[in-house]
Amino acid sequence: MHALISSEVRKITSVRGPWLLLAAGPLIIVAGVTGLVESGGNVRDPAEQSQAFAHVGLAAIVTLLFGIIAVAGEYRTGSITDTFLSFPDRRRVIAAKLVVYGLIGAAAGLVSSLVALGVTAAWWSAKGGALHLSGGDAWLTLGGGVAANLGFAVVGVGLGALIRNLAGAVAAALAWIALVEGIVAQLAGSGLARWLPLRASEALDRSSLFGATQTLPQWAGGLVLLGYAALFAAAAVVTTLRRDVT
Amino acid sequence: MELQVHDLTKTFGRVAAVREVSFTAPAGKITALLGPNGSGKTTTLRVALGLVRPTAGTALIGGLPYASLSRPRRCVGAVLDTSGLHPGRRARDHLRVLATAAGVPARRADEVLDQVGLAEAAGRERRGVRGFSLGMRQRLGIAAALLGDPRLLVLDEPANGLDPAGIAWLRGLLRDLAGQGRTVVIASHVLAEVAQTADNVVILAAGRLRFAGPLRELGSGEGALESAFLKLTQAWG
Repeated sequence: MHALISSEVRKITSVRGPWLLLAAGPLIIVAGVTGLVESGGNVRDPAEQSQAFAHVGLAAIVTLLFGIIAVAGEYRTGSITDTFLSFPDRRRVIAAKLVVYGLIGAAAGLVSSLVALGVTAAWWSAKGGALHLSGGDAWLTLGGGVAANLGFAVVGVGLGALIRNLAGAVAAALAWIALVEGIVAQLAGSGLARWLPLRASEALDRSSLFGATQTLPQWAGGLVLLGYAALFAAAAVVTTLRRDVT
Repeated sequence: MELQVHDLTKTFGRVAAVREVSFTAPAGKITALLGPNGSGKTTTLRVALGLVRPTAGTALIGGLPYASLSRPRRCVGAVLDTSGLHPGRRARDHLRVLATAAGVPARRADEVLDQVGLAEAAGRERRGVRGFSLGMRQRLGIAAALLGDPRLLVLDEPANGLDPAGIAWLRGLLRDLAGQGRTVVIASHVLAEVAQTADNVVILAAGRLRFAGPLRELGSGEGALESAFLKLTQAWG
């Protein structure tokens, strides 16, 4: 497993694409927090601060895409052939990718948190407010955001392993975010809808993008996300990954 | 370390790509797999490498299926096609990824780059292999196959994209490898090249075995291999 994990790390560190992609996370946060303040956010309202920190979770869309390239990206370049020649046990390949991409996703979330803290502190002081970091609220929001970055990275790995076509996997992910989950949520009703991936992540990272009325507890949201990742990865291992590499 | 293909059959949907093919590629020899397009050469090699599951039959490497080899990269080196390279990854980094995976020291990357004549090109390269010609990609693939110092080499159309000097170099390399007691299996279209290189020949047509044996059994003299090949494969298109 050591050779497998080191070769995965080497693969990521030897190209620029993944890092350019991950750099989009902090950019989203700077732009998002700035937009929040500029659109008339009240820096003296503690809820406003949580909303600013919740951008860390929203930036998890970037780690989702990052996770998708783990397997689907290898099918696109054809390097998956070399990977399977080195490691014929395909389950272990997926397991290693879940670990490596999950950890890098979490690290990206950590960087995003620091950026969120910095940019929020800057705006708050510029507008005459003060940050409230003594209560648990701020840290639960930031910590949940980091966990969401990890969770979406592993969901992405599972999704990209299941839908091996890179464009198809990205399209499926974006369609789900933009359209499909909203429709499914309406059909399911809010009691069931809170178990859907984006609504579970909303509970985890305490964002309120979808304005769900009923959400899971924060910890449960995290577990549900990991469950989806495990489900996709398991489905990939028993279906598409058994297929011939031609 | 022999490659033994026994009663191998592979169907894709309703199409039988390979039907009941058996042959052995012995150690110390160059075995050439010949056949028209779509005759099942690549499928046979991919089954041997564990990338494609056989419908029936086996392909064993030193008696084991590929997936059961404990260190596959140290037993088998493969050149399958010139894709499989990330355009933004540099040649040396590509080889280092594979060296890590194979459990061989990173300096092997430089050794094999030198061996295939890419050391200089790899030293100049800044932005990945996207600027490599087909011939350079082919050499890089051969370098990757040599990384683990394997006992068996499997090469699918290795002369593809190589210039005349490159083809002569490849011929010498394959001879050397076989001379060291390694098993060399190549799939090829270039009969004139095979006639100069191979010890044994396996001819496939429409997924069926048409001939397996020493090259000399197909006659000697210029054009002997070509006329034998055409006779054996014509009726099968």
